[in-house]
Amino acid sequence: MQKQYKTKKMHKNETLVAYICLIPSIIGLIFLTYVPLAAVLGLSLTKWEGVGIPEWVGFANYIKLFTTDPYFVDSIKVTIYFSFVAVIGSMIYSLAIALLLNRKIPARGFFRAVFYLPYVLPAMAVYIGWSWLYEANFGLFNYILSLLGIHKLKFIASSELVVPSLALIAVWLSGNLIVIFLAGLQNVPKVYHEAAEIDGANGWQRFRHVTLPCMTPIIFYNLLMALITNMQVVTPALALTQGGPGNSSRFISYVMYQYAFKSGKFSYACAIAFVSFLLIGVFTVILFATSKNWIFYEGGEE
Amino acid sequence: MMRREKSFASKKRNEKVANIVSLVLVIILALIVMLPIWWIFRSSLMTNAELFQWPPKFLPPNWLFSNYKDALVYFPFWDYFRNTMTIIIPAVIGGTITATLGGYAFARLRFPGKKFLFSLCVGSMLLPTMVTLIPLYIMWTRGFHMADTYWPLILPYFCGGGAFNIFLIRQFINTIPRELDEAATIDGAGKFRILFSIILPSIKSAMIVVALLLFIQIWNDLLQQMIYINTSENFTIAIGLSQFKGSLKSDWSAIMCATCMSFIPGIVFYLIGQKYFVEGIALTGMKN
Amino acid sequence: MKKCKKIISTILGLTMVFSLTACGGSQGETTSNEPAANAQTGTKQEATNDDVIHISYSYWGTPDEAASVQEVADRYHEENPGVVVDIVCIPNEEYVTKLNTMAAANELPDCGIMNEAGVLDFGSKGLLADVSDMYAGADAVPLDSITFKADGKPVAYSAANEILVLYYNKDLFDAAGVPYPSSTEAMTWNEFVNTAKKLTLDVNGKNATEAGFDPENIVQYGCTVDNWTWQLEVWALSNGGRWFSEDGKSCTINTPEVAESIQKVADLMNVEHVMPYRAGLTDDGVQSTICAGNVAMSTGGAWNIGTCLNGVDFNYGVARLPKMKDSVTICTGGPQVVFSQSKHPEEAMDFIKWYMKEENSWDSLIATGIWMPILEKYYTDDALTNSWIDNENFPEHDECVGALVDYAMNNAKSTCWYYVPHTNEFIELLRAVLGDVWTGDATAESVLNENYNALNAIFLGE
Repeated sequence: MQKQYKTKKMHKNETLVAYICLIPSIIGLIFLTYVPLAAVLGLSLTKWEGVGIPEWVGFANYIKLFTTDPYFVDSIKVTIYFSFVAVIGSMIYSLAIALLLNRKIPARGFFRAVFYLPYVLPAMAVYIGWSWLYEANFGLFNYILSLLGIHKLKFIASSELVVPSLALIAVWLSGNLIVIFLAGLQNVPKVYHEAAEIDGANGWQRFRHVTLPCMTPIIFYNLLMALITNMQVVTPALALTQGGPGNSSRFISYVMYQYAFKSGKFSYACAIAFVSFLLIGVFTVILFATSKNWIFYEGGEE
Repeated sequence: MMRREKSFASKKRNEKVANIVSLVLVIILALIVMLPIWWIFRSSLMTNAELFQWPPKFLPPNWLFSNYKDALVYFPFWDYFRNTMTIIIPAVIGGTITATLGGYAFARLRFPGKKFLFSLCVGSMLLPTMVTLIPLYIMWTRGFHMADTYWPLILPYFCGGGAFNIFLIRQFINTIPRELDEAATIDGAGKFRILFSIILPSIKSAMIVVALLLFIQIWNDLLQQMIYINTSENFTIAIGLSQFKGSLKSDWSAIMCATCMSFIPGIVFYLIGQKYFVEGIALTGMKN
Repeated sequence: MKKCKKIISTILGLTMVFSLTACGGSQGETTSNEPAANAQTGTKQEATNDDVIHISYSYWGTPDEAASVQEVADRYHEENPGVVVDIVCIPNEEYVTKLNTMAAANELPDCGIMNEAGVLDFGSKGLLADVSDMYAGADAVPLDSITFKADGKPVAYSAANEILVLYYNKDLFDAAGVPYPSSTEAMTWNEFVNTAKKLTLDVNGKNATEAGFDPENIVQYGCTVDNWTWQLEVWALSNGGRWFSEDGKSCTINTPEVAESIQKVADLMNVEHVMPYRAGLTDDGVQSTICAGNVAMSTGGAWNIGTCLNGVDFNYGVARLPKMKDSVTICTGGPQVVFSQSKHPEEAMDFIKWYMKEENSWDSLIATGIWMPILEKYYTDDALTNSWIDNENFPEHDECVGALVDYAMNNAKSTCWYYVPHTNEFIELLRAVLGDVWTGDATAESVLNENYNALNAIFLGE
């Protein structure tokens, strides 16, 4: 009887602790995320341009988005294409660098700072700097190409090359992923490595069977974060390409920005926002659903 | 016996070779990664006219460190720095603490509605900040009358510091074996006790990472700061930087000077924090 | 645990300290201006007086422009001690964003400068105060070409009269032995292209008219015709076409004359090879070409005299734009407006009227060449004209008279946003669809025809 009473009390206690821990987050979720989201959804069913009372139009905005809008359908394709390239690129790059930097090489700390530095730079400077490298007539990359006797490339000024060029910048910027991978690599229990060595495993085998599995929660986090942030990409378009040439770098968030802040068509932009939310949601759900198959939680499953 | 020693020696050699190869790779990659940064830095030491010449100059023709003095005239670095830190310090502290609490709850505690709340949490990550900009702006300015203050920029971080960070802490706590928790519970420790004595020391590296990410995020967050701050005395670094891109001309070398000044605090903060998560507190499981 | 508690309490303490500083430094719009007001008035005690009215004025610009606007505000306060003008400085990139956001939240400043493309839309949403009596009874009125009109009624007046002109690098012309473009007579388009060819040099020193010219390795270009979208309208007008009908009631952008005008600009890059590739996405046409020293001629706004050409180390001249059929230029200029959400409309209107008087922005903006005057008398009265252009910031007197003063007076037509709404969106879409024209992947004609319906839909406000 006593044991049962204690367990019940502990459960109650646990629930209380949990809620105390989560109160700030819950407040934030409600007032800073979901109430505004509901407002956005509500606005998307109206016609409102900043002044006066919103006028109810039902799904007209959504219909317009998928039929006559000159930007939207292209923007979905462009955003998915960009995310795909940028996410895969960043993950491979940051994992590789983290592995290299985890070894005992001299001046490790210095190199870690170097690879992290791009993430620290203010976005505008990054994009201005890269725009000079990519410049179609007199940029550094074209200069190097001309020295090698290769035809100049238009990079971000060409509709074929603009997304890969921007994705390259995104990969370069992924220093934050390196940091997280490094922290994750530190967390792989040394005993496992030692046990594997004693069993005769070489470096590659240890990586495949010890490091990788232990890292899967971190890999999942980085993958999810990279996916979500890259699908919300807007700064390269804002700072560099304005969505051009044509629609080839017109990301969904940029279209939303365009309509909300350049044209003042807030309710229409809300419709775009909601579709974007659903789209990212779909990809996230897929990622979570497949995650159970490959993530190994040291601390136990939920 | 001999065989094991031999294989041990060759293993050491292999490791050394691997280390050297890694070093070479790292140096090459580092040089490539530094190229755009060098490009920014050398642009800060050139005049606007020199910037667009052909062929592009790898080294600045005259190392115009005076550009920095000129940029400081219109870019009061220390004022902007002070303003930015006024936002960052409380926000980073609040964000890290609340993210840790939230991550702990999701990782370790059982309570009704956990799955639901967690999906809400993840769901909030899917929302670009731009989406909620207008409703939130109306709430903060018309509702709370906090236009031109720093509150709309600080308070949101006290609500979990952003779902990304709660999620990150959760993932890290999940890498810690539950056996330690259970051992402590048997010893009579309450949940908070477990958090402070067992979990916290082990995820120090993750918390530092969260603090660092928050720092950088706020440091560079132009859109939010620009929306809420009106008077130039209250400008932050991010707003100050964007001012150089004027309507009628852009003072490129000034922008680059201001940029180079601006990323130094981020790097300093990183180097300080690096000590903590580089050495790492790797759990070695149950020790006797 | 003790250590833990110590750390936590220190952190909390720091947080409180910083929060208080944040509070004290920036609490609401009125009190945060106290330090600014004190700085302006120096020893005057009126700043703390309760019946001093504060009006806010928003503008965009670099920090040095900010300094000159602050001077203007201070001078106004000296003349009108009962009113303090608080400057709201918004970075140019974000200007429209912030204005739109503030409008939605009913937080617009009392007055400010507006971007041209958004004026009529703001007006139709009722966000602009009525300016019909701004110049009532005044002896001089602004030029008609820079008046924003909705249904024939004035909605705003540009604060400056900016036209497009042709700049050229005299040193490069001398080196090639080519005569300068004229400031009184516009070249024909063919003459322009030929001149540009003579000034386009490849890495072997051959120019584009000579055999063996290597278009892959050009080190100096003859010209840049800025294809930043709104500026393309001047070529349509020069070619006898119009983007919109004169009464602003229909969109005529898909006519052959307009298509031809755009195609000719694109051909400069892809066919004649005299212009470096530009995607038409940025505002730095003059700065990145002629100021950089590797392009001999560049079209651009008159404001470049004051913003970037004043720093170049070569001799430059100013001339009229080449003509396709008619010699024409377009004029534009951001207007100073009073927002209807203002709580102090009379004071704000008074400040705007005061600001728009040339004498009050003389030294910082007009004498430096950044702004051109808006009142007709500065273009017709020689004495006034000379007072404007006879200073070291401007090129030679005669060139300026021909290419700036008379050109603006006689050949300037209004840009479309003076009489057509929704131009922000229209120009955005136009810029997007023209992307392939600049790379040579599509002709202007096909692109304009394919997208006419979408463009027209925007024009009609659907």
